Amino acid sequence: MTDRGAVFDLGYKPHDGERLGTPGAFRATVKDGLRRVLGLRRKARKKILPFFLLGVALLPAVVFVGLAFFLGEFSPDVESPFGGYEQYLGLAGTVLLIFSGLAAPELLVPDRVEGVLSVYSSRPLRARDYIGARATALLGVVAAFLVIPNLLMWIGFAALGEGAFPTEAIDGFGDFARSLAASVVYVLGYGVPAMLPAIYTKRTAPASGAYLAIMFFSVPIASALVESGFSASRWGALLALLQHPHVVRDWIFGSFNSDLPTVSQFEPWVSLAVILVVAGLTVILGMRRYRREM
Amino acid sequence: MSDPIIATTGLGHAYGSVVALHGVDLEVPAGRIGLVGANGAGKTTFIKILLGILDPTVGDASVFGDDVRTSAIGIRSRVGYMPEGSCLPLSQTAADFVVYAAELAGIPAKAARQRGSDVLTLVGLHEERFRYLGDFSTGMKQRAKLAQAIVHDPDLVFLDEPTAGLDPEGREEMLDLIARLGSFGINVLVSSHVLTDIERTCDWVVMLDGGKVLRNGPMTGLVETDTVQVDVIGDPDAIAADLSARGATVSVDGTTLLVQASDQDPFDLVMAALADTGAGMRSLGARSTSLEDLFLAGAEGGGE
Repeated sequence: MTDRGAVFDLGYKPHDGERLGTPGAFRATVKDGLRRVLGLRRKARKKILPFFLLGVALLPAVVFVGLAFFLGEFSPDVESPFGGYEQYLGLAGTVLLIFSGLAAPELLVPDRVEGVLSVYSSRPLRARDYIGARATALLGVVAAFLVIPNLLMWIGFAALGEGAFPTEAIDGFGDFARSLAASVVYVLGYGVPAMLPAIYTKRTAPASGAYLAIMFFSVPIASALVESGFSASRWGALLALLQHPHVVRDWIFGSFNSDLPTVSQFEPWVSLAVILVVAGLTVILGMRRYRREM
Repeated sequence: MSDPIIATTGLGHAYGSVVALHGVDLEVPAGRIGLVGANGAGKTTFIKILLGILDPTVGDASVFGDDVRTSAIGIRSRVGYMPEGSCLPLSQTAADFVVYAAELAGIPAKAARQRGSDVLTLVGLHEERFRYLGDFSTGMKQRAKLAQAIVHDPDLVFLDEPTAGLDPEGREEMLDLIARLGSFGINVLVSSHVLTDIERTCDWVVMLDGGKVLRNGPMTGLVETDTVQVDVIGDPDAIAADLSARGATVSVDGTTLLVQASDQDPFDLVMAALADTGAGMRSLGARSTSLEDLFLAGAEGGGE
C-alpha cells in the first residue's frame, strides 16, 4: 500500500455501444417534455403551478370518493347531489384548459427563443418528430389530469359499493369507459389548440393569455353572433370552442345538453368535427412552422 | 486524397433574391477543416445545408457519401453541431442538458449519463455541471455548447464560430480543445472569420467569399511560399542590388529582404550576395504567408 495518490488521464472514450436512432431521440424528447411540463429537474418555482393544478384536478375526485365513504350510501349517478364522472369532467375540464394554456408555451417557446432548436436539427429528428414528441408529452400529462382521478373514482366507488368489489367494478366499468372516451375529447378540444399560440409567439405569457382569452371569450362572441339575427347567424355557435367538449361529453353519456351549439340545433357530431378540425389545423400549422427551422 | 468526408458539386443556395452560395465544388478529406470567410460569406449556410436544415437551391452535397437531400437523418446520426448563436436551455443544468443531448442522438440513457459526465470533465465543466446554464458565463456557455456537440461521439463535428465572444484566455482554451478533437477520432469543420484560429487548429482550409470558393486545400501547401526571408546586418540596399544583379527579385523592408528567384535556388543567391558584400545576417528561412494574405489575395483576384 502506498500513501501517494496518482491521477490517471483516462482520455476520450469513444461510444461503441448501441445507438437508438430516431425512436430513441423521440423518446428522449417526450421525456424532456414531461419534465418541462411538470417543472421536474427545474428550479422550484417551475414546479409550483403544475403540481398545484394537478392537486386541484384531483381534489374533486377525492372529495367525491371521500363523501361516499363518510355517507356510506353514495353512488356516482348523475342525479347525485355530489356528481359523478360527468360532473367531474366538467370541473376538471376547466383545470385542464388552464393547465394546457400555461404548459404548452413552456414546452415550445423556450426551445425557439433560446436557440435549442438548432441542437434538435443536428440530431436524427425531423420537424414532425419534434412536434409529435412535444404534443405527446403535453397531452400525456393533460390526459393524466383526467384519467387518474377517474380511475380513483372507479376504484373508490367499486370499493365502497354494497356488492363485492369485482361485481361493483364491472357494473361501474361502463361509466368509467365513457369517462375515458370523453377525456380524450377534452384532451383534443382543450389540449391540442393550446399549442397554436405557442407556435407563433416568442414569449410564454402572451401565448398563455391569448389561448385562454380565445377560449373563454369564444362563448360570448359566439352567442352575440347567434343573437345578431342575420340569415346564417346560427353558424356563429360553432365558434364557441369552450363548449364543444361539453356537448360531446353529454352525447357520450346520453345526457341533456343546453350549450350554445346544441341550442343552435347542431348535432353533437358537428361539435366533434369542430374539435377534430381545430386539432388538425394546429398540427398542420405547427408542422409548417417548424419545418422551416429543422 | 482518401475518400472525402464532404463533397459538393455546383452547390448553391439563395434566400429569395439573395445568393448565399454559388457554384461550390469541393472535396474535403478527413481531419480538421477550417471554413473561413468574412461575415456573410456563406459559412453558416454551407453548414446548414450539410446538416439537412436547408435544401440546396442547386447542385448536390454529400457527407460521408450520403446525399444531404435524401439521407439527412442518417447524416445527423453521425455529426455534431455547435451553432454560432445560443443553443442552451437556460432553465436546465449543464449535466441534464448534455445528457439529454446525448439521448437525442440515440445514445441509451445509462451510457448518456456516463458520457455526459465524461465530456463535461473534458471541456472543463465538471465542477459546474449541476449549475443552471442560465447562470453560466459566456466562456462556460461556449464549453457547454461544445460538450453537447461531441457528447454522442460523432464522426464529424461542425463548430460555427466557436471562439465568438470569448476573452483571450478562453479563446486559447477553446482552440486547444478543438485541436485535441482530432486525436479523439472526431473530424472537425471549424467555421470562423478569425483566420489565426484556423491557422492554429486546422490542417485543411476552405475559403469562402461572397458565396464562392476562393481556395480549398491543405494548410501546409497554402501557407508555404518560394520566397526567402533574410534579416541582414549591414547595408540592405547594397545586398538587394547584388541580388538583383544575380537575377533575383528583391523587396526591402528595413533590414529584412524578401528574395524570389525563378530559375535558381534563392538560398544560394542570398549566401553569395552576403559573401560578396561582406554583410552578416540575423536569420534566414522560407517565408510563410498568413491565411489573411491568401484570403486578401484571393478576394482581390476573384477566387480560384
